Amino acid sequence: MSSLKDIGVHVVHVGGNGNARAVLREVENLLQKLVEKGEESSIDLSGLPLSAEDYDLLEETLGEGEVVAEVHSLGPTRIHETGVPGVWWVTHYNDEDEVLAEFIEVAWCPEILLAPEDDVKDGLEALRARLFELKQESNHG
Amino acid sequence: MADETLLEILKRRGISRRGFLKFCAATTSLLALPPSMAVAVADSLGRLKRPAVIWLSFQECTGCTESLTRAHSPSIESLIFDAISLDYHHTLQAASGHAAEEAREHSMKADWGKYLLIVDGSIPLKDGGAYSTIAGISNLQMLQEAAAGAAAIVAIGTCAAFGGLPHAQPNPTGAVAVSDIIKDKPIINVPGCPPVPAVMVGVLAHYLTFGSLPDLDDLGRPRAFYGESIHDRCYRRPFYDQGKFAKTFDDAGARDGWCLFELGCKGPTTHNACATTKWNGGTSWPVQSGHGCIGCSEPDFWDAGGFYKALSTPVDSVTGAAAAAVAVGAAAGVAIGIANRQRKAQARAEHQTVTIEDLEK
Repeated sequence: MSSLKDIGVHVVHVGGNGNARAVLREVENLLQKLVEKGEESSIDLSGLPLSAEDYDLLEETLGEGEVVAEVHSLGPTRIHETGVPGVWWVTHYNDEDEVLAEFIEVAWCPEILLAPEDDVKDGLEALRARLFELKQESNHG
Repeated sequence: MADETLLEILKRRGISRRGFLKFCAATTSLLALPPSMAVAVADSLGRLKRPAVIWLSFQECTGCTESLTRAHSPSIESLIFDAISLDYHHTLQAASGHAAEEAREHSMKADWGKYLLIVDGSIPLKDGGAYSTIAGISNLQMLQEAAAGAAAIVAIGTCAAFGGLPHAQPNPTGAVAVSDIIKDKPIINVPGCPPVPAVMVGVLAHYLTFGSLPDLDDLGRPRAFYGESIHDRCYRRPFYDQGKFAKTFDDAGARDGWCLFELGCKGPTTHNACATTKWNGGTSWPVQSGHGCIGCSEPDFWDAGGFYKALSTPVDSVTGAAAAAVAVGAAAGVAIGIANRQRKAQARAEHQTVTIEDLEK
């Protein structure tokens, strides 16, 4: 026997426990809220016990959309829009690639993708400082 | 530096607002709060100044510390070492001997009335507390001194919360829980043998975020994590409802993932977060790996009948008597001693041994 994979394990699929359907109904509700009132919200996926089958059902039903994004801050955060526009799958990882938290966000755009106001202000200052330096350099050159 | 807020510390380390937002989302999830609370969590964590924490370890196996240091969500480094000032923890701190004890005394003086006291392990009361001492100071004395200046106490692990294994019959050291000794301070019990790492971090995060104790149940446990039974949140619950039970650990039912109730699972009477939080970074948990819950976050779990006896099996009557006697106080130790001697004699007379059949009952 050369590797662990060679050990015969009989995998039995016992089916989901029905929680994926509950989550999907909640997504439907939240999406209606977004459409009617513009209210954004999200579902914490760690709150409900989902079996592997439930997870698959959830992913298959929502499908894959057009947008894939990755944020690098305190480890990667991977985001993709599902096949249902406005429904985003957001997974936060730490530096060791372990899942910290996982959400389904129902929003026009997930909050973590928007540039935070304070950071934008800091960025503006940094850019002006850089432009000032460039100007000094060209004056001396 | 001591007056820096958490947000300033993170910023100094080059972590952006996005990173902070992520940290708060993970913390909110950990606290089992609705995702919409993330903004409130961010607001209050951002303004947080590092509170001092003193951690005392008494009659314990260090399993709780082992478990805590393997917490990954939110990363323990950022929470423990940035969000709090851990001034004394004799396993984790670099200082030892007199220097360590000085650090504890200094922190107690500097933050008197404000520090958070964390205790793991039970406290032995028998024979003047001689069974466990640190730097020549009995656990009882150290606890009383440290508790006097604490804002609140977190009893980590079943030993500190309920007496745990040292408290199990015949309790040779007269071990008791923190709440048996300290009556005038708010105490949060975080039982488990060990507790789920995320739960320990979650309780600290809650205290840091809101500056107050979380909502507690009648045993002093945070409802956010201990509000529901293992059974209520178990993914095998549907099989229980359908009356599908594994009868042995290797029958067809066990292979199909049926309910482990008849194999002694204590899920219905145990309150903990294992079923949703899971262990080892969400990899698995006891019931998922095919073994029933042993009820380690409940008082006297060790003496609550066999691990492999179904809950419907009557529990040995001596257990109840001994538990009641301990509650009365140390003076009742004699009564337990007698009860246990009688039990021992009885056991010898009947020559009780555990057989395979017992395990399969």
